[in-house]
Amino acid sequence: MQQGGNVERRTILKAAGASLAVAGLGATATACGGGSGSGDGTVTLRYAWWGGEPRTIAIKKTIALFEKKFPKIKIKPEFTDYEAFWEKFQTQASGGNPPDVFQNAVGFLRKYDKRGVLLDLKTQADAGNLSLENFRNGVLANGQVDGKQIAVPVGANTMALVIDLKAFEKAGVEATFGWTWDEYFDALQTIQDKLRIAGDTGYFSIMYLYDLYLRQNGKAFFTDTDLGFTEDDLTQWWEDGYKRVRSGLVADPKKVEQVKPKSALSAGLAASEFTWDNFSIRYEGEGESDYGLAPIPTTDGKATGQYLGSLMLSAFSGTEHPKEVAQFIDFMVHDPEVGEIMGYDRGILATTEQYDAFKPTDDNNKGVAAYEEEVAEAGVLGKITPHPSGADVIEAAFLRIGGEVAQGKTKPADAARALFSEARAAFAG
Amino acid sequence: MTLVKEAPVRPAGKRPAAPAAARRGRRRENLAGYLFMSPWIAGFLLLTAGPMIASLYYAFTSYNLFTPPQWVGLDNFTTMFQDPRWQKSVEVTLKYVVVATPLKLLLALGVALLLAQKRRGQGLYRAAFYMPSLIGASVSVGFVWRALFSDDAIVDRTQKVFGLDVGGWIGNPDYVIYALVALSIWQFGAPMVIFLAGLKQVPQELYEAAEVDGAGPLRRFWNITLPMISPVLFFNVLLESIHAFQVFGSAYVVSDTRCGPADATLVYTCYLYQKGFKEAQMGFASAMAWTLVIAVALVTAVLFWSQKKWVHYEEAAK
Repeated sequence: MQQGGNVERRTILKAAGASLAVAGLGATATACGGGSGSGDGTVTLRYAWWGGEPRTIAIKKTIALFEKKFPKIKIKPEFTDYEAFWEKFQTQASGGNPPDVFQNAVGFLRKYDKRGVLLDLKTQADAGNLSLENFRNGVLANGQVDGKQIAVPVGANTMALVIDLKAFEKAGVEATFGWTWDEYFDALQTIQDKLRIAGDTGYFSIMYLYDLYLRQNGKAFFTDTDLGFTEDDLTQWWEDGYKRVRSGLVADPKKVEQVKPKSALSAGLAASEFTWDNFSIRYEGEGESDYGLAPIPTTDGKATGQYLGSLMLSAFSGTEHPKEVAQFIDFMVHDPEVGEIMGYDRGILATTEQYDAFKPTDDNNKGVAAYEEEVAEAGVLGKITPHPSGADVIEAAFLRIGGEVAQGKTKPADAARALFSEARAAFAG
Repeated sequence: MTLVKEAPVRPAGKRPAAPAAARRGRRRENLAGYLFMSPWIAGFLLLTAGPMIASLYYAFTSYNLFTPPQWVGLDNFTTMFQDPRWQKSVEVTLKYVVVATPLKLLLALGVALLLAQKRRGQGLYRAAFYMPSLIGASVSVGFVWRALFSDDAIVDRTQKVFGLDVGGWIGNPDYVIYALVALSIWQFGAPMVIFLAGLKQVPQELYEAAEVDGAGPLRRFWNITLPMISPVLFFNVLLESIHAFQVFGSAYVVSDTRCGPADATLVYTCYLYQKGFKEAQMGFASAMAWTLVIAVALVTAVLFWSQKKWVHYEEAAK
């Protein structure tokens, strides 16, 4: 590189130009690949969801069914686990390239509505491409934000207490409707005394359980725009929790950590765990004992604070095929055969057509059905807690900071302060 | 990678002036060279230089990926320095770098010294010791590590024999970082190979002379081997520290993607990742990235400055 500076510069420019052209060609090629229309009128939609293998197998069957009935629409499935799903989705959505249809949850609605990602399906319903009728127990409202229908529920679920049936039986304790927190922790104490295992896997780090506790006391985790409790409330909650870790009533967080991604309940570290009722199906597969659903403990002997949440389907506001997307969602939430295939994997089926079509035969699905019936009969179901934008980040922070408390690494008061500070950033984001 | 510099051999006399034809030929050669390099140049500009400049800009903005970035000046940096989790990530990373790097290099040098001796099957040994470096960065090894260091797994059971029952390292915030350190040390193959190359270049006559003078093995190592391979040692220290500052994969996998428990494996890049891709605070994440670049540059500068004191180049000795 000693001489001919001019030539050199020109050469570089040419070479760079050539390679840019090559890169450009590559980009064009991918763009074509990503396009969803084709000459013969066939439309391709991308459909993404998160969940375990059983869900993926079932959903693929429903897709095959849909493609048979709508031969002009092809579905390209994309699936992964929960956390990876939202990381990927966020990146895709920010680049203007999210899937056309995707699974959604209450905690993400306002966030992505605010960012303009979600299609208002009401207009499609008005155009006759999607029916918003026949939803059970008013769950359709779970997908509404500021008068818009930005998601359509596929199921309804509620928080529950999953218990190790054998352990409860061996210890001679019973979970009854309307039992109080004191009675619950007494039962755990009995289990600990008799069976030498912890009673619970770490209840105080679960945002949705704390929400129920707050609701029992006339508050809620969120208001429309903020947290619905004080730092002192949370400090107290975490102080009690940590006390129970030290006494062994709650499983050793060091051990809980190590069995991940398995649950500490199915790993036999504790006899009960709070989670969504439709998750109970997973424990049967993972663990060696038998598992059942038990009532949420109460403060006043009656109110559990429960409400129906939902997994839902949403569509991308910028989809090239809003009509086909609406037809697809309509089929997925109303078609009886789809209901039969999916069962209660995503919660109790949301529409009457699907609910009537699926008759649970195995113990797990039957258990979920019986549980929600029982909860409904008890008349404890209330209106869903609002989920402001940032709820998803706060849920993750609650779990993480609660874990630090459990490990004894952060004092409850400092932990509560940290959560409030992170929540402020999340609401602002 | 010849680190021991040698005087360039060049024929005496001045260079003949290049005739026009030769010059044209060289031009064509240059053109071909740049053409061959163009994919790399394009990749560098589009995938490295471009994003880097963009992230430098984002570092001074509030940017959630969806709404256009808003200029906030130094806000990201002031928030960052006060953020307890950022401080924690710095602490975790420094601990990792300071513990893992020297131990890894020590082991690499030790094994290289053994392998430098002529014996049967040395090729096999070298390959065997190098192997972990090839697979160490993979996700599956992360999983294996998680299994090895869990409660009642092999490490825990072995420890119990010696009366050290900590109940597995993975779930224990006080120990889990050492599982990562162990994983790093286990991948000592790359620096080992470099050490080996350095050892091979030490002139044998120095040892012979020292032996004649009655120097023992320790003295020979201290006064001959170490000074002679100090350029290689310097190179390894530099490279391995820079690597260690950027550790991500092992922390992410061994902690089941959460960089926990209780943020005990929250290495710098892991927090950066969480801020950027989980919480979509790209401005903050970019500020973190540039802070890391500057920190690594400073460490590198200090190392380069210090080499005058301890790195021995043959040339300089003349």
